[in-house]
Amino acid sequence: MANSNLPRRIIKETQRLLSEPAPGISASPSEDNMRYFNVMILGPTQSPYEGGVFKLELFLPEEYPMAAPKVRFLTKIYHPNIDKLGRICLDILKDKWSPALQIRTVLLSIQALLSAPNPDDPLSENIAKHWKTNEAEAVETAKEWTRLYASGA
Amino acid sequence: MEPKPMDDIDNTLQNSGLSAPPITVKRTVTSTGARITTQIKEDDPEDSEEVKPVKSLVEDKVVVSENVCSDCLAGSVEGVKSSRTRFEEFIKAANTKIVSEEECLKTQRKEEPQVNNEIPEKSVKEEPDVGFEAKAPSVPETSVKNMSYQEWLQFRGYAKSSGEGTNSHEKKVKPEGLETARFANVRVREEPRLFAENKVNVKEESVRSSLWSKPQGVKKEKVEEQRASAGLVEDGDFPDDPDWFLVGRTLVTALSTTKGRKLVDNEIVNFTFPSPSSRYNMQWIVRFSTKRSGEIGRLPMEWAKCVVPLVCSNKVKVLGRCVAAPANLSLMQEIMLYVSFYIHHSIFLDGDKSSWRLDGCRSIDSTVYPLLTLFNLLKNKPFQKADFTPAELDSRKRLLNLEGDSEEAASMLPIVKRGKGCQQFPEQNKDEQTITESSLNKLMGAAEVYNLEEMEPPNTLLCDLRPYQKQALYWMSKLEQGIDVEKAAETLHPCWSAYRICDGRASSIYVNVFSGEATTKFPTATQVARGGILADAMGLGKTVMTIALILARRGRGCPDNEELDTKTADSAQITKKRKIDSHINISSKAKGGTLIVCPMALLGQWKDELETHSEPESISIFVHYGGDRTNNPNVIAEHDVVLTTYGVLTAAYKSDAEDSIFHKVSWYRVVLDEAHTIKSWKTLGAQAACALSSHCRWCLTGTPLQNNLEDLYSLLCFLHVEPWCNWAWWNKLIQKPYENGDPRGMKLIKAILRPLMLRRTKETKDKEGRPILVLPPTDIQIIECEQSEAEHDFYNALFRKSKVQFDQFVAQGKVLHNFANILELLLRLRQCCNHPFLVMSRADSQKYTDLNKLAKRFLETNTDSSTNQTVQTRAYIEEVVEGIRRGDNMECPICMEFADDPVLTPCAHRMCRECLLSSWRTPTSGLCPICRQLLKKTELITCPTESQFRVDVESNWKESSKVSKLLDCLEQICESGSGEKSIVFSQWTSFLDLLEIPLKRRGVGFLRFDGKLVQKQRERVLKEFSETKDKMVLLMSLKAGGVGLNLTAASHVFLMDPWWNPAVEEQAIMRIHRIGQKRTVRVRRFIVRDTVEERMQQVQARKQRMIAGALTEEEVRTARIEELKMLFR
Repeated sequence: MANSNLPRRIIKETQRLLSEPAPGISASPSEDNMRYFNVMILGPTQSPYEGGVFKLELFLPEEYPMAAPKVRFLTKIYHPNIDKLGRICLDILKDKWSPALQIRTVLLSIQALLSAPNPDDPLSENIAKHWKTNEAEAVETAKEWTRLYASGA
Repeated sequence: MEPKPMDDIDNTLQNSGLSAPPITVKRTVTSTGARITTQIKEDDPEDSEEVKPVKSLVEDKVVVSENVCSDCLAGSVEGVKSSRTRFEEFIKAANTKIVSEEECLKTQRKEEPQVNNEIPEKSVKEEPDVGFEAKAPSVPETSVKNMSYQEWLQFRGYAKSSGEGTNSHEKKVKPEGLETARFANVRVREEPRLFAENKVNVKEESVRSSLWSKPQGVKKEKVEEQRASAGLVEDGDFPDDPDWFLVGRTLVTALSTTKGRKLVDNEIVNFTFPSPSSRYNMQWIVRFSTKRSGEIGRLPMEWAKCVVPLVCSNKVKVLGRCVAAPANLSLMQEIMLYVSFYIHHSIFLDGDKSSWRLDGCRSIDSTVYPLLTLFNLLKNKPFQKADFTPAELDSRKRLLNLEGDSEEAASMLPIVKRGKGCQQFPEQNKDEQTITESSLNKLMGAAEVYNLEEMEPPNTLLCDLRPYQKQALYWMSKLEQGIDVEKAAETLHPCWSAYRICDGRASSIYVNVFSGEATTKFPTATQVARGGILADAMGLGKTVMTIALILARRGRGCPDNEELDTKTADSAQITKKRKIDSHINISSKAKGGTLIVCPMALLGQWKDELETHSEPESISIFVHYGGDRTNNPNVIAEHDVVLTTYGVLTAAYKSDAEDSIFHKVSWYRVVLDEAHTIKSWKTLGAQAACALSSHCRWCLTGTPLQNNLEDLYSLLCFLHVEPWCNWAWWNKLIQKPYENGDPRGMKLIKAILRPLMLRRTKETKDKEGRPILVLPPTDIQIIECEQSEAEHDFYNALFRKSKVQFDQFVAQGKVLHNFANILELLLRLRQCCNHPFLVMSRADSQKYTDLNKLAKRFLETNTDSSTNQTVQTRAYIEEVVEGIRRGDNMECPICMEFADDPVLTPCAHRMCRECLLSSWRTPTSGLCPICRQLLKKTELITCPTESQFRVDVESNWKESSKVSKLLDCLEQICESGSGEKSIVFSQWTSFLDLLEIPLKRRGVGFLRFDGKLVQKQRERVLKEFSETKDKMVLLMSLKAGGVGLNLTAASHVFLMDPWWNPAVEEQAIMRIHRIGQKRTVRVRRFIVRDTVEERMQQVQARKQRMIAGALTEEEVRTARIEELKMLFR
């Protein structure tokens, strides 16, 4: 079957993710592809994303853990480091990847990124600009988007 | 509609009991066109006479029915007139059809004489039902139907009025003529059939007229006509409807659901079908009613089940009338209905040749198809039968009654699919499932003598082929040519049956007996895959054979066979059309040569071999990998051979799906090397390979079946072998039976593979009975070892402990639930046979003298190199060292397994050496995965391997009996001075670790090869081993290696520990015993007497028998438990 060659590490990580999920994060593998995870991250409290439920997809490439997992937001989100396709600007997903990192740590990092947007290293120029010029307004927009796209569903 | 007066009802009812059976027969006859050929000649003159009045009718009709070209009609009528002369032509053109039609109706014809002689008077009334009235409530084409119904009335009126005052004979002819006209009307669309249909009609007519002319019949008809205005019984004729073709008619015994005098003979019944939204238990209930009395009864389930989906598809309608029913109905009484099935003409139109599935959107797993069922129920036999049908496979009785313990039975199968308890030993489990070479041969029917012709390779091939390789070349060429295209286009695809329906106007209907798909387009055998599986055993030169094929048969894209197809009999036009369609489809793609997909490790080898074996400049080779990629499909299509890896193909498919560079090219040939790589059909890789567009497809693999029958399914999918690339069929007919121990699954798979797969082994003999490949002999011996007393005591203690536990499981009846635990018990016993050190308990209070050394060195190193790097606190380091001292085997943060060959970084992080090094971009330095500190390889501290054994093996070193024997053997070889090299296999790397100690002590030079080496290191070790003169021993883990490993430098093989499955050992030996081996290969297997090892030998033998199917079902059932008990005896 498709998952017969799954490395032990992925199996273990999956088991742990399911048995002891990180707070505010749920990740469950897709049934037909154990390398593909459906992820939900709750917007961190005291962030513009509070109250939102953000869906993401996470895929472990063949080379994992020697290569970083591929993660993308599926839910629309207003964030300077996340572009409109949901791609995330996060160093550990790029050049700062280390095989000692795990799905859990990656997702926690993303959750942290929601708490601490970094407009100085933007992926979405417009949003970053907005953030830098008028943070209050940008935060409002982020809240609005959270309400619009990430509430409930 | 001719309502009957009430007083006639009694009359009819009285007759009904008597008349029913003969009527049945009569109807059967009239409903077909079966007698064309037998009667046509005598009746012809009459026909043409009688048809004349038709002409005028037809002309009238042209006025009435709007869109019929009058020219055509005239032509058709002329056809009717001159039918006698044209008939000869027709026979010539369509004689096959007539023959088959006859065949199909043979049974009915037998009854013919009876009809004509005995019951003519009864048949009169039934005659007109050739054109039943359209009255199925759920048929959508109401407008069409209404119109035709009106027309029909009009005609009817015409017939009546014109018939007034004329003699009865004339009256008869006219309605018949109407029918003819109508038939002609339809026939215009089906030019080639025109004359045939006319013939049918004319003949029917003649039969009828002869019947009609009998006095009784005429009388009765007259009576009916007179009563036509007053009655309630709806028993008129069904009008002929040009849009609906008669499939067939039959008697159906329905059941009444009402009481009373409800039904008279010949009364039309209307069917009511459940709506798609009907509740579950209602969905198969088909009721019928009459206009007079409302609901009467319902159809039997077997009919309802096939009719409901068909009628819901709107392509089929059902009409019926009562032929025999008790005068006074009570509940659940049998009512004989005479039911006609019609199929809508739209499916026969040229414009719509797309296939249709009458079963609508039923689940893919369904293997029951309504149209096929209907044909079966109507006893409509295909005039051309599929080569193999599910019915044949199903009809044989099931051999195995599983008695509800399928789970257990399945788990006892030799090839375990679900080993629930084995999760803790995934690797073990994996190996255990591997099928041995010999059992593979049995499954696949190899080692038979292949009597194939040889084909000389082209002179562009620079190496000589052995005879068996030339045979492979011949075989592959033949398969690529397929059955010659012309023949293929005329040959019905093996999975399809051809049916003809009663209505002669309709063309044949082809039904795929496996998918239920139906079509009117001729499914040709050209759609069958070209290619196959070259499954020669490892080492026979599959690569070279393939290169020879590439050189011998060059091509680009999908060759155009169009001109060859046109001759095809009655499907020529259709076939051509299809060809053109597909041609358009393909021409948008670049036409490529051969695409070879192989594992990354073999990419270089393929390129080298292609270059060395083919004449320079004779072919162009392009490697689509790494930096040498292009995005232009035309570029890769330019080359004769394109090499790529499964990874690249999969990645391309993943990002661009059908638009990937590989899928944009129409290949001439796709070759999958080590094709078992795609054995999991659900993986993207397998799908990517399947989706490639190619003329020919090849799988190269020495192990077409690795550990599961499902592996083959994926290959068949890639090869596009129908119907087995349909999961439902594969699962139903092969996978399930096989898993349930039903031998038919295996039989079938053998039958499927026979034409598709070529498999020879080194034992295969040629025509003269000589082996196809002469290799030096192998000499396999078992070396029995006797444990020393100390060893034996240790083993016994361990054995007793394990046995107590095992007996507990047996007593609780939980053997299979504790499979993993039991395997672990056995593992320890087996390791103990190799060397007791392997199982020395963790609680052992040996002093880790080395550890202190280590800690000291570690701390020193750490302070030394602490120039500008973060230094861990002393406390932390001490904790780490203490952990190591305690024997805490920590989990490697990278592979998340217990660290194997762990190293300590200067920053005091522990992980597997292998994991750390492979995370680095350069071999000598990289970052710590945990703290990102820059590390050099030289700074790494090897954690004491001693911790693995929990005793200081080096200072307490003692040889086990097995180790002593091995060392003796190695020394003998060394002393002989023959310069022969040895390979020592064990399944435990820790045992190889142990072996290093005595080898070092005795100064025996050795190399080591195990799973921890990365590809580059492996190549280096193998190269060194084949060249070295000092290191004569290679320690190798049984599981390492894999594809293409060539170890012919050695001629001595030592298998240190028996493995569950002989296949793994066989594979190991195979790496040494292959082309290029010049010496006798001496294999020594070490077995410790009176231990679990000895019993494992018996299990192995038993397993062989089990895979070979020599065990009875009962034996298989208890095999697993028995096996285990055997080990603990």
